[in-house]
Amino acid sequence: MIVKDAVCPFCGCLCDDIEVEVEEGRVVAVTNACELGTTKFMGEKRMKNPILRVGDEWKDITYDEAVKYAADMLLAAERPLLYGWSGTHGEAQCVGVHMAELIHGVIDNTSSVCHGPSILAIQEVGHPGCTLGVVKNRADLVIYWGSNPIDAHPRHLSRYTRYAEGFFLENAFRDRKVIVVDVRKTESANIADEFIKIRPGGDYAVLSALRAIVQGKADTIPRTVAGVTREQLVRVANLCKSAKFGAVYFGLGLTMTQGKYKNIRNAIELVSELSRHTKFTISAMRGHYNVYGSNEVNTWMTGYPFGIDFSRGIAFYNPGETTAVDILARKECDAALIVGSDPAAHFPRKCLEHLAEIPVVQLDPYPNATTAFCNVQIPVAVTGIDAEGTAYRMDGVPIRTRRVLSSDYLSDEEVLARMYALMQEARER
Amino acid sequence: MTELLVKNACVIDPLRGINGETMDIAIRDGKIVEEVSDAAEVIDARGMLTLPGGVDSHTHICGTKVNFGRYMSPEDMRAGRTPRRGAMHATSGYSVPTTYGNSYRYSVMGYTTLLEGAMAPLEARHTHEEFTYTPLQDTMANTLFDGNWAILEAIRDGDVKRVAAIIAWTLKAVKGFGVKLTNPGGTEAWQWGKNVSCIRDPVPYFEVTPAEIIRSIVEANELLHLPHSVHLHCNNLGTPGNYSCTLGSFGLIPDLNEKRQTLYATHVQFHAYGGSEWKDFCSKSEPIARFVDMRPQIVMDMGQVMFGRTTTMTADGPMEFNLYRLHHEKWSNHDVELETGSGIIPVIYRRKNLVNSIMWAIGLELALLTKSPWQCLLSTDNPNGAPFVKYPEIIGLLMSKRYRDAEFATVHPDTESRVPLPAIERELDWHEIAVMTRAGAARALGIQDLGKGHLAPGADADVAIYPLKIDEVDPSAEYQKVIDAFSRTEYTIKRGRVVARRGECLVHGSNATLWVAPKVSDGYDMGKDPDFIEKFDRYYTVRMSNYPVQEEYVTRNRRIETEAEL
Amino acid sequence: MTFLMITGRTVNQGVTVENKTSPEYAAETSTCFMHEFDMMELGLDDGDAVRVTGPCGEVVMRAAASPEVEMGTVFVPYGPYANHIVAAGTRSTGMPDFKSHEVEIEPADEEPKLVHELMEDLGGLAYDR
Repeated sequence: MIVKDAVCPFCGCLCDDIEVEVEEGRVVAVTNACELGTTKFMGEKRMKNPILRVGDEWKDITYDEAVKYAADMLLAAERPLLYGWSGTHGEAQCVGVHMAELIHGVIDNTSSVCHGPSILAIQEVGHPGCTLGVVKNRADLVIYWGSNPIDAHPRHLSRYTRYAEGFFLENAFRDRKVIVVDVRKTESANIADEFIKIRPGGDYAVLSALRAIVQGKADTIPRTVAGVTREQLVRVANLCKSAKFGAVYFGLGLTMTQGKYKNIRNAIELVSELSRHTKFTISAMRGHYNVYGSNEVNTWMTGYPFGIDFSRGIAFYNPGETTAVDILARKECDAALIVGSDPAAHFPRKCLEHLAEIPVVQLDPYPNATTAFCNVQIPVAVTGIDAEGTAYRMDGVPIRTRRVLSSDYLSDEEVLARMYALMQEARER
Repeated sequence: MTELLVKNACVIDPLRGINGETMDIAIRDGKIVEEVSDAAEVIDARGMLTLPGGVDSHTHICGTKVNFGRYMSPEDMRAGRTPRRGAMHATSGYSVPTTYGNSYRYSVMGYTTLLEGAMAPLEARHTHEEFTYTPLQDTMANTLFDGNWAILEAIRDGDVKRVAAIIAWTLKAVKGFGVKLTNPGGTEAWQWGKNVSCIRDPVPYFEVTPAEIIRSIVEANELLHLPHSVHLHCNNLGTPGNYSCTLGSFGLIPDLNEKRQTLYATHVQFHAYGGSEWKDFCSKSEPIARFVDMRPQIVMDMGQVMFGRTTTMTADGPMEFNLYRLHHEKWSNHDVELETGSGIIPVIYRRKNLVNSIMWAIGLELALLTKSPWQCLLSTDNPNGAPFVKYPEIIGLLMSKRYRDAEFATVHPDTESRVPLPAIERELDWHEIAVMTRAGAARALGIQDLGKGHLAPGADADVAIYPLKIDEVDPSAEYQKVIDAFSRTEYTIKRGRVVARRGECLVHGSNATLWVAPKVSDGYDMGKDPDFIEKFDRYYTVRMSNYPVQEEYVTRNRRIETEAEL
Repeated sequence: MTFLMITGRTVNQGVTVENKTSPEYAAETSTCFMHEFDMMELGLDDGDAVRVTGPCGEVVMRAAASPEVEMGTVFVPYGPYANHIVAAGTRSTGMPDFKSHEVEIEPADEEPKLVHELMEDLGGLAYDR
């Protein structure tokens, strides 16, 4: 059987033109997806059943036992942390929010360690953006800043920018200029028309210099700024001003370096400035396929995109205090529920040392680095493969992922709903 | 079977011609009925004012831009928060509350039906997801067609039937309710950083004018026999002198429908400005109201501005950019491929600001100068003019000259020379308020036959009982009592259940969504049209098969089929 | 020698990220990409083990020459090895300094640990080794 127009549950591009061939309950071939997506669709070695850590042994347990364990753990916790959420569908995220509210927990998603700083910047200065198709059809200038799409979002270039056809571009490949700004000469820099190499930590200064030039103050710029020559800066500023439609896509190269959200703020303000001259937009290259969905769900349900603390009943938001890395590093939480992410692979060691000290339950189809810190892991269906549900693309376009094969695994939503039901029952008693 | 009997209710039900009659209301299984058995639960309304549940015919509560308003504004989220309590979830937000915040606060004010004013088709799924979490109201979504490429091309080719066919396919695909035009043509121009100045200004590349867009889509709307008329946000919002553009747009509209208006013009306050620049900015509410008085084919809503902090959000991207350049506050913009756009900025309307004071006066003038309340409905274009929680104060202002004068004394002193408000003596009565907040809104939306906006047997049992006796309160003098009563119902009944009582919501609720599926002949089915399919595949970034909103997104599905003339 | 350590995504990291117990994931995320002159200076060949010491610990990785990195900086694919030495402070943003750590690098005699060994060092228990 071939499933057409399947939705790839890997990165924020959320490509929805994938063809998946299924035979005897297994994916045997994948067409149109990149290497990252193909590998995910073809994934093997799922965990077979829930497991419980007993001393230094792992014991198989039933779903009912695992769900009960999780519900009891969360009900008994004084300051539970519910973390992850980017690797699951929106319907499951909604249950997570209700759960956090019920037990006065903290709910945070992986954006606190990817584009959380971008959100902080947007909360200061806003966000002039657009959907990916607007760029595809119109943009004659695309800037990748601190992002490396060839490695992290391989089809971004072919679907939306460098290699994409565009309604208003006669010969898109020729008429569309691509600029890459990075501290390394990445693969993406090799396919760019212009590469701007910045000294590490110099993004803020370069953005400020470009803003000054766009405002007509080129004469105030020193000969080089963070390793970039004034000539190149002036040339790039002019390219931006003379473009009919410019689009900036920025990545973790801006959010994770020195300055963090101030870098993004400066980039947004550059785009707002350019909007006075021509059409310009800016957007974040979101990583997980549904990290943006997690921000959206949290926002309509609690008012905030990530890092929400219900300990006082109301939704409280203060990144740096109510975010997962901080809460773990301060040894604050006394239980953790992990859904759709792998903090043990992605958090600093100090956080893991605390995870080792507290009860942890994880929902994940595969054994991963976090498994080692779990008391219980519950294998679930993979959204986009054997479960369906809503995901939000990096530009905010919501798409319903398809189920390409059926399995006996429960979805994240089903497992969470069972936990939540037990917890509600206990609280009403 | 569940039964409820509301006894001794002082009912104003304008669609049935009932004005202040004390009567009983019988309810069975969510519907109004002639009578119920003795086993029915009884609520004694003790002569309190009882109206059909409130209907907001233009509000922004759910979807991409609303949520972005929350996302970018933690300061607004902090400005209104409540914990989980009883059946109520936690809420945040003042001008853009969370979905539960919207739902509870509307419910406490007696509102049971809401029209989301602007949904981009590509992002419709998002609006429907938020509707699900707006559990105490029934909802519907106006669908944006102002910059739709396929439609602009069909208009250029003079093919109104094709325009209608594209609207039909899209409404059905995205489970939309009505046709919304926001700055027609302007949102497409804005994707080049440009705008259209008024209705005769051609859209770049497509070379059609806003006037042609409006005319063609109005005709197409009627070919489809949609319940609602075209819902128009005129070009040129918020600029001095724009009233002539507004009148020009109104003048394009023939009278094509005997049951309702042919054009719904929204938030007209923002389109009723005189002057040639900000310095000589003034009210032009009078010519607008006179024009509408003579044309039954037009219904408008106020778009009232109230003083204080709020968030502006609209599909009108270029207008928001202009506002950003005025206010220098944070600015967000979101263009949507092949369809439309949106923009958001926070604002503060100040009494000490002359322009803001004039805006405040214009909204009230429109409501007071338009003869028929059926033609000027109450709105703030929530949250653009003010958050909807200000409706009770607006009702107070419309019912009391004394209150208006007291407020007028606090606004910018030069306002008096720029607006007619101080000379207007009219005070609206209870019946007129009931028209402007439910009966008229339901009729304008075309949902009275679906059981909305009235209490006739067969109607949805959506009822608002306010703690106020109309024969004991003089609204002209005791306007604070009016404000208090409309702020907090004694009972809000939704689908036959008490959902809110004295400020507390009592049940989890479950939203129903009304949407339209026009029936067209095979030849006009765009899902089978090779040209439409080819362009969709080439220029959208979502596959056509992944575009339609699935049934899973509609909790209670109220599909309205219409017989199109196609 | 002192270097600036930058972490980031790579295709190989992405391809193996759903299978973190695999040797391929371990190999990718324990690679320290360096400028060849820096490697020469430290007397390193491709594949040699290096001890990387950060503000909160040390970890053994393998060096690999890369034309993409500048002298004085090293690039490590995002994963458990880099995070073993990254500090948890976020400067009130929620985000650690993933791309701006100063590290000391020297040749080492040991092999890089496996992912589950790193996790067990921190108090975890490997499931699927």
